[in-house]
Amino acid sequence: MKYDVTVIGSGPGGYVAAIRCAQLGLKTAIIEKYNVLGGTCLNVGCIPSKALLDSSEHFHNAAHTFTTHGIELENLQVNIQQMIKRKAEVVKSNNDGIAFLMKKNKIDTYYGLGSFVNKNTLKVAGIDGNEQQIETDKTIIATGSKPAALPFLPIDKKRIITSTEALTLTEVPKNLIVIGGGVIGLELGSVYARLGSKVQVVEYVDAIIPTMDRALGKELQRVLKKTLGFEFFFNHKVTGATNEGETVKVTAENAKGETVTFEGDYVLVSVGRKPYTEGLGLENAGVQLGERGMIAVNDHLETNVPGIYAIGDVVRGAMLAHKAEEEGVLVAEQIVGQKPHINYNLIPGVVYTWPEVAGVGFTEEQLKEQGRAYKLGSFPFKASGRAKASMDTDGFVKVLSDKNTDEILGVHMIGPRAADMIAEAVVAMEFRASAEDVARMSHAHPTYTEALKEACLAATENRALHI
Amino acid sequence: MSLEVKVPAVGESITEVTIAQWLKKDGDRVEMDEVIAELESDKATFELPAEAAGILRIVAQEGDTIEVGAVICRIEQDGAAASAPSAPAAEKAAAPAVQESAPAAAGGAGEAVEMKVPTVGESITEVTIASWLKKDGDQVEMDEVIAELESDKATFELPAEAAGTLEIVAQQGDTVEIGGLLCRIVPGAGAVKANAQAAAKQEEATQQVAAKAATASGAQTYASGTPSPAAGKILAEKGINAADVQGSGRDGRITKEDAQNAQKAAAKPAAAAAPKQEAAAEAPAAAGDRNQRREKMSSLRKTVARRLVTVKNETAMLTTFNEVDMKPIMDIRAKYKDKFKEKHDVGLGFMSFFTKACTVALQEWPAVNAQIDGNDMIFNDFVDVSIAVSSPKGLVVPVIRNAESLTLDGIEKEVIRLAKKARDGKLSIEEMTGGTFTITNGGVFGSMMSTPIINAPQSAILGMHNIVQRPVAVNGQVEIRPMMYLALSYDHRIIDGRESVSFLVRVKELLEDPMRLLLGV
Repeated sequence: MKYDVTVIGSGPGGYVAAIRCAQLGLKTAIIEKYNVLGGTCLNVGCIPSKALLDSSEHFHNAAHTFTTHGIELENLQVNIQQMIKRKAEVVKSNNDGIAFLMKKNKIDTYYGLGSFVNKNTLKVAGIDGNEQQIETDKTIIATGSKPAALPFLPIDKKRIITSTEALTLTEVPKNLIVIGGGVIGLELGSVYARLGSKVQVVEYVDAIIPTMDRALGKELQRVLKKTLGFEFFFNHKVTGATNEGETVKVTAENAKGETVTFEGDYVLVSVGRKPYTEGLGLENAGVQLGERGMIAVNDHLETNVPGIYAIGDVVRGAMLAHKAEEEGVLVAEQIVGQKPHINYNLIPGVVYTWPEVAGVGFTEEQLKEQGRAYKLGSFPFKASGRAKASMDTDGFVKVLSDKNTDEILGVHMIGPRAADMIAEAVVAMEFRASAEDVARMSHAHPTYTEALKEACLAATENRALHI
Repeated sequence: MSLEVKVPAVGESITEVTIAQWLKKDGDRVEMDEVIAELESDKATFELPAEAAGILRIVAQEGDTIEVGAVICRIEQDGAAASAPSAPAAEKAAAPAVQESAPAAAGGAGEAVEMKVPTVGESITEVTIASWLKKDGDQVEMDEVIAELESDKATFELPAEAAGTLEIVAQQGDTVEIGGLLCRIVPGAGAVKANAQAAAKQEEATQQVAAKAATASGAQTYASGTPSPAAGKILAEKGINAADVQGSGRDGRITKEDAQNAQKAAAKPAAAAAPKQEAAAEAPAAAGDRNQRREKMSSLRKTVARRLVTVKNETAMLTTFNEVDMKPIMDIRAKYKDKFKEKHDVGLGFMSFFTKACTVALQEWPAVNAQIDGNDMIFNDFVDVSIAVSSPKGLVVPVIRNAESLTLDGIEKEVIRLAKKARDGKLSIEEMTGGTFTITNGGVFGSMMSTPIINAPQSAILGMHNIVQRPVAVNGQVEIRPMMYLALSYDHRIIDGRESVSFLVRVKELLEDPMRLLLGV
């Protein structure tokens, strides 16, 4: 078979790229290593973790806040098997959805390990041992990433686990040690903390979610400690972990250079993810790798080999599903001669803890570093009528705007539905709205998004109305 | 309060104007009498001053052709501007200013102004009201045209003598004697201008209002010219720089529609090249820049073009030549130019000699200074010399009136004055109409010989050319002399060959022996 475009990898970047290519009239194929479509995000990432986050959040609320709401339950229990089963169903249903989208858009789907034979020939090695070759004019590499490991700390997938295993545990850990205070560690840590685990986070640097605006990390740390009993150990360098059968022992070096030991029944290693390029046969096509194992691409996401593109986690930039999706669309449109662009500064970052954390644009730290004159407006959910009604009063919205022009430069929020609310900030910033612009737009009352309006008012002339 | 600015009447024969350029943008604050736009008619370019201070709201766009009397823009006067959803604080600041001025305006506005038929000329005793442009009870502004009057000679316009409410007395179609009552204007609610002027005094306060209003609702900001995500993509594909697109979105942001429309206006070749780069590369491309530009003809140039063709088609045009030995004039200039300059404060050029020589010759051969009007011939006892000047907007021909009675320095001064106005596009219609004969000097650009086209309805045009050193026979001797060819194009229907040739010979004689000008021989 000969295709105009072949996509390797069916994650959110890959399958979206394939759909967009098909929409643009290109004959398109997609190759997936596993026997289901959707990649990390759908199978072992965003979707299943969100399924468990929602389930555990319901349980947590039932256990802790329902009484206040006037709902009394007896014998509240977690059926972890059912929880995991429901999660599997959600995943399955989404798998089917993507398979349908491929069919609808007349995209040929190949299951098997895709690799380059040469620039225009790809080999698909099926699990059953069958091999076939397809010819393609252009190729989009969207093979994503996999959990990174520490060299001295081998993952045994039993007690020393990654996010993938954490999504299929059959019991609630009594004591979960999380190595790494990033998004994945905090999200999965939250799931099990809500279900009753004692969670200890061991972090190498001095803050959680360190790449986001620092104010967010501080507030999240406070809330997780307060509501879920998280324990944080900062400036701790993990030195090893041993599976002791029923338990696991983690050793680390603290800021003073002393050795510290943590004991739990599971240790979740969430120290980041690394690009996944193994078995791709890049050398056969002459595609070069860049820093840290990523595929080197230019601004058009084209590799050093013309006609071969790479998107998503496998290239530079944030490892986010929505970033990969934008890149997939960008490459597809470029192939047919259009000239799309991505504003990388306006790709929002989200953490699905509760409260949710979201941010877009420059952080306050970045603005300080740039020496840019900015104004800060902030509004706490404590002062939001809607948040009070739902008992979700933790968190705040923080708006950073240019001191002279009032242009919004960054919006950072932690609070209920922040993941959804951040979209308003993205829209505003794509149109280079000023803080006052947003402040002058009607926001339904009572809603969480009013907090953004109020923060914008605060940034404008410190004239928030409800505080 | 919003004031409608209409295309002013600029002359009897002009019915429509084209908006050449807006000098202010929509949403800009303008001051009273500030020039806000350049308008072009088929005769001239002129400027549109703001009739009041306030925020400009453009109605007719650049390039639009609109009729005289049509609304061209609105000016939201200060009161209205302050109510924009912007800075309440500034609004408060502006409000007292207007309030203070209001009683004063009202106090001064007591009696109704009676408007009577103006005296329009000695021979006119009555006028007919062709149309009322305002209805009974309408608010009118001072100097706003409220009616069109007709006499047996001409149509003219009636401007309001005051601001206020119009009370019509004489109806449309009525014939009213000079001095008869046409209407009354009752000052009061319509005294907008008084308010505007009072508000203008509060310059500082109101300008702050405008500045605040601008950031909220219109003017140039950091975001002006920023394309929306979809617009940015479209522009990139068309190869159009966002800076070249006028954004219509909030604060001048470029909307998707702006980007889509940008194609129609802007560089077509670039747009075509973008999607088909590969195909384009295959064709053997010509070396060098192949860019084309398409510009709209100004209405002035359109009119000139039309008239030139008409003249060629409708006259029996013929050209006769002669040559002039310029040495005598050049000698005179060399000898007296410093003194002349010192005495008259103007340089002694060739134009004055030529104009003077022509006026003398034209009086001797009046047919050359005449024109055909239907079945009649009109002979002029005066000489109004049109001088052809190329201006940035096209060829214009301002007129030196009664050139026959002017001295050489008087002519030079007129030439300089008119040429300067032509260059700045400031010539009025009066200054360009009514010439009886035209002189054109293609020689200044190096032309050796040409056959100029008559400037209708005139019957003849003299073409001057460049001066070239050539050997000529003078008294049986070959001498090198500065020679110039003269061309006279004329309408053979009214000017016979004897007259045209004799006219040209007479001009030649006067130029070759300027003493004759002095002696009248």
